[in-house]
Amino acid sequence: MLLKIVKTITLLVLTSSAINAAEFNTQAEKDRLALIKYFEAKFEDPEKNRNTFFPYSTDEELKTAFIKGIKHQDFSKGNYAFNKDGRAQYDEIKEMPPYEDAIEEGEALYSKQFKNGKSFESCFPDTTIGGMYPIFDESRKEVVTIGQAINECLSSNGEKKWKMTKGNMAKLQAYFAYETMEAEKKVDIKITSTDAAAAYERGKEYYYTQRGYLKFSCASCHVQGAGKRVRNEKMSQLLGQTTHFPVYRLKWSGLGTLERRMGGCIKDEGQVPPKSVSDDMKELLYFMSYMSNDMPVDGPDIRK
Amino acid sequence: MIKQKKILFTGKTFAKITLATIAALSINTSAAASEASSLDVRKVCDVQQNGIQKVIDMAAKYNQIAKKEGLEFMRLGMKTSQYILATQKSIKEGSKTVDIVNKKKKKTGTVSTQYAAWRACSFAITALQQASQAKTTWRMATPGDGFAY
Repeated sequence: MLLKIVKTITLLVLTSSAINAAEFNTQAEKDRLALIKYFEAKFEDPEKNRNTFFPYSTDEELKTAFIKGIKHQDFSKGNYAFNKDGRAQYDEIKEMPPYEDAIEEGEALYSKQFKNGKSFESCFPDTTIGGMYPIFDESRKEVVTIGQAINECLSSNGEKKWKMTKGNMAKLQAYFAYETMEAEKKVDIKITSTDAAAAYERGKEYYYTQRGYLKFSCASCHVQGAGKRVRNEKMSQLLGQTTHFPVYRLKWSGLGTLERRMGGCIKDEGQVPPKSVSDDMKELLYFMSYMSNDMPVDGPDIRK
Repeated sequence: MIKQKKILFTGKTFAKITLATIAALSINTSAAASEASSLDVRKVCDVQQNGIQKVIDMAAKYNQIAKKEGLEFMRLGMKTSQYILATQKSIKEGSKTVDIVNKKKKKTGTVSTQYAAWRACSFAITALQQASQAKTTWRMATPGDGFAY
């Protein structure tokens, strides 16, 4: 009898916590599904949907420059999911990607001993963590990005922190991303409390808020503007935007982290970007990464 | 015992003063931010009408809040605060121009001091006005929420 009562109570507690956990991400799931629906509709057939989504594109462009009928998972390739010319160039570069050395250097950094004899393995025993970050740390009540976690590992072992945007930081992240991709893991961002849900909402508001002297939001280019052309470049879509970082950008002639890219984007809007480990930046990345949930981790990768 | 009480009193008083200062400063900041919403940028940042000193003071006042709120504008690699400093320096030295410099401090262009003052002032106030408007408009761009297609 006592055993039955204990079992029932345990079951009730587990069910209740599962229901609660599911409740915290209800809005985020609603947002994510709405975004998938929007992008699938937008890129189903750009020529057919020109009045709704591409009123300023030329007939020729809509007829020949787009890959049609794209589904959710395809968007993990960024704008190369729909950009026919860009995809051809991308496939060619991918035959001998310029970031391969960086992955090897990242692996060496992972194994290298700190002065105290430990290594990154003491902080990250699992190397397939590329799709897990950012996380919401419930004890600290804040979002923690992978770059921040790497630097905290360095600090706690008496080592000097790395720059958040490039160099060793990007190389180690490239190694984690590669290991995650090889393990065929997907993006898996969790929202498991009211505080985490609030951080997600603040990140969402940041993404959709018009800012800078140009009065653009991130969404102006990467939701409503996705697929449209700026000079000769088609803008990428929010869905799948974080799956492939760090990236080797031809513009940078090197590898950079998501923080580096976002800092550049916000500058392009005409605003001073938030610091890499500020709440604004971390919550923005938390929101963006959640939108890519359930998509394959596909990094490191190459972009123009 | 008396000494202990005195220390305790001093500690409590200090805490009270600090809290009061913080509260006063935040009230001042939010009051100035909401005051910015009602300003007509074209009028208040007009150098001919108001004089350059008044315009650059206006820029400094509002950009301080914009910076604190993480809303500071930048253009051509220069932050609003850099436009303000460069304009103030130019006024002091009686120069008619302000250099535009990139993040490596390399000169990339020149604008008139009056134009730099206008830009600093309009950037500082617009940053606050925009943020206030965005509180009600950002959802209109969100698929599944205010954005219909």
